[in-house]
Amino acid sequence: MRVAIIGAGIAGLATAYFLAKEGIKVEVFEQKFLLHGASGRNSGGITAQFDDEELIKLAIRNEKLYDKLQSEIGFNFLLRKDGYLKLANSIEELGRIELQRKFGLKVKIMEAEEVRNIFEDINTEAFKFASFYPKGAIVFPWAVIWGLAKGCKDLGVKIYDFTKVEIVAEDGKVKGVKSGEFHEADVVVNAAGAWSKEINDKLGIKEEKRIIREEICVTESIKPYIDPYILHASEGLFLSQSMRGEIVGGIVGKSDGGMTSSLDFLIRYAKLVTRLVPKLKGLAVLRQWAGIYDETLDGKPKMCFSEIKGLYQLNGFGRKGMSIGLACAEIASKEILKFTQEE
Amino acid sequence: MVKVVDGRLVEHPILKFNRGKEVTIYFNGKPIKAYEGETVAAALYASGVRIFSRSFRWHRPRGFFCAIGKCSACMMEVDGIPNVRTCKVYVRDGMQIKTQSGFPNAEKDFFGVMDKLIDRIFPHGSQYTKFNNKIFREMLISRLRSFAGFGNAPKVEFSGNADYEEIECDVLVIGGGPAGMSAAINAGKYGAKVLLIDENPNLGGQLVKQTHRFFGSAKHRAGTRGIKIAKILEEELRKIPNVDIRLETKAFGIYGKIVGAVEKSKLLRIIPKKIVVVTGAYERTLIFENNDLPGVYGAGGVQTLMNVYGIKPGNRGLIVGSGNVGLILSYQLLQAGVEVAAIVEAMPRIGGYFVHAAKVRRLGVPIYVRHTIIRAIGKDHVRGAVIAQLDDKWRPIPGSEKKIDCDFICVAVGLSPTHELLYQAGCKMKFVPELGGLVPLRTKFNETSVEGIYVAGDVAGIEEATSAIMNGRIAGIHAVIALGLGGEMAKKELKESLRDLEEFRAGPFGERIICGIEKCILAKEVEI
Repeated sequence: MRVAIIGAGIAGLATAYFLAKEGIKVEVFEQKFLLHGASGRNSGGITAQFDDEELIKLAIRNEKLYDKLQSEIGFNFLLRKDGYLKLANSIEELGRIELQRKFGLKVKIMEAEEVRNIFEDINTEAFKFASFYPKGAIVFPWAVIWGLAKGCKDLGVKIYDFTKVEIVAEDGKVKGVKSGEFHEADVVVNAAGAWSKEINDKLGIKEEKRIIREEICVTESIKPYIDPYILHASEGLFLSQSMRGEIVGGIVGKSDGGMTSSLDFLIRYAKLVTRLVPKLKGLAVLRQWAGIYDETLDGKPKMCFSEIKGLYQLNGFGRKGMSIGLACAEIASKEILKFTQEE
Repeated sequence: MVKVVDGRLVEHPILKFNRGKEVTIYFNGKPIKAYEGETVAAALYASGVRIFSRSFRWHRPRGFFCAIGKCSACMMEVDGIPNVRTCKVYVRDGMQIKTQSGFPNAEKDFFGVMDKLIDRIFPHGSQYTKFNNKIFREMLISRLRSFAGFGNAPKVEFSGNADYEEIECDVLVIGGGPAGMSAAINAGKYGAKVLLIDENPNLGGQLVKQTHRFFGSAKHRAGTRGIKIAKILEEELRKIPNVDIRLETKAFGIYGKIVGAVEKSKLLRIIPKKIVVVTGAYERTLIFENNDLPGVYGAGGVQTLMNVYGIKPGNRGLIVGSGNVGLILSYQLLQAGVEVAAIVEAMPRIGGYFVHAAKVRRLGVPIYVRHTIIRAIGKDHVRGAVIAQLDDKWRPIPGSEKKIDCDFICVAVGLSPTHELLYQAGCKMKFVPELGGLVPLRTKFNETSVEGIYVAGDVAGIEEATSAIMNGRIAGIHAVIALGLGGEMAKKELKESLRDLEEFRAGPFGERIICGIEKCILAKEVEI
């Protein structure tokens, strides 16, 4: 039994890892370099503050998997559990707190003034309410990918970078993937994130999905003093401070587009972020970039076999890849294992 | 003899230093005398401060280096604002300056022992590969965080205004050196609305440090000192009313048709029809032991210190590199009353013009060809250097080592184009050794592979000021012609300017350049 995985992001690599642990022969194909896609371009915020039962459960499982995988692989993802702070101008915009609590999330609702106990420099006039999830975390996304790739390689998984592949299917069944040379596979996993739609389109698989572009920038480094990950849900602004002390922040994506950065983003971000944290004024921006991700209409990930036999869809994570990607990969690997046993 | 008071040159045979009012600034609480018009870094240097910061991991000392805000060695906390590049900030009375790294401060840093220890106790990458047990891992992450970061979190809100301006123009010139001024003059004189921006507080680029006379024919301002050429170009430029000059303005990105820039604390959103990128070059460095010690400089840093701020860089210097920059710098040091211990040159012969070499030799400076620097000596700053002879395969010959007494070392081994903006704009680039490194492909009219983006001067290939001026002229005129301005006159002048450049490069020194340019010329030619 052979499995070919398209996309060496968090979902693709984690699936490869889980399958390889079960003794399955796995190959991973990445069209560019590792970290080229959303797994290498996101800001590393991890939370379970979602408004849907399935997503909350996935996120809780995901937290445990981070701990487990780091120890198992022997690689630290520089994950720190300093909490996820969601701000909003109205209590409704904080989302379904009761639902979150029902599944055991210890989410704390605060008024603006209280938030200063968590982060003193925040401008309490820039928002009204906050929900704080103490188990929320910030991870260094690159380390996650490096670590998973190491775990995969230790188990004998072959990762091909700069290898753009096409799925080969015959009589409604996958045969493998091809990129110049043909790689035979019984199961092909489409874990190509923002590029998964393009792959499905080629096979004639119709799906309703949006490709969204999001921009981020990084300032010069200062001594770490912002502990939690901060998301202003009403304004779409997010920021956190990396292990190296840089302020990493951006604006939640709305529209599609390529991976080029814009000046307009920088201007808008600077305005929003200095309103929320006035003392960040005057800090120099060192780098900016853009990334793209795919989002399904209901905001839930796709993890299922599709109409072509042996083709597994593992995409549509939206902005939540770091929060649920490992848990989804675990489910995917179980379903693929089941499929192979049935075959 | 040059008089030196408080580390500052008072009388200089060529330059005149107009110092402002005396003020007092505080460095880690200690009062220091300074003069208005001096940068913080220059004033600290004059008062004898040599360590400005510490490196992040090894806690090695970092001192005055580039003097133009490009390196980060001089970053300090100024009046509560972290990470201020002190070589770009002018002194104000009562200013509070603190070093950011090291304990208790950068000058006396107990963590200096890390230099010897850290690779043994925490090899590179340990944060990923060690401490994999959950408890240790979480402890490590929280501890690491307390070590990370440069500079304290800001204590006060930045007081600068955050203004915003949108500017539309025909030609945007990025860089106010000889090439940039020339491009702006030649685009402006045909009626184009020109915006010229430069990150420095004055025009002239590197010409302002060049106190020597230029060579070549009289037509190309030979016999005139660099500083004077800068003045002549600036006067000509300022006479053209449709040229807007913005100083202390840094372009940070070319986003398709929009250019982002910062003018002091004002953000500029520039929408130009054509862009001339004339960002110049960086100084190259050399690999040798202790090359990061305070007191190892690029030639530019020393020239800025000495010729712009009138501060004595040291008592006795060693110059590495005998190109024109190294030779001229040696002469300038001697003029300022600084001893030059020696000039070393790795090549079997002197790189620069014979006249310059003869001049420094006459003044008793030994020039060692086929020699290189092996290491710098010193703990906190340079106290000497070891040089050695090289064999035919560029390897140091054992036993040929020689110790040189000096308190600073100047690395003048050439320049590399400042190509970042071009790269970011998507211009096709190529590595051409003859031109000093990565350079853009360009047409003979200096247009890059991205339509409407032109280059001239050192960013297009390391040459010198006269040809930079000529190339700026070509780029500027071609840009206006492409905009439909200038008519027959401009077309005629464009042809003439191409011919001028060809004549200028016809000499033996032009051979290498012509050879380099052939490697990066774009086949696509827009005939006029």
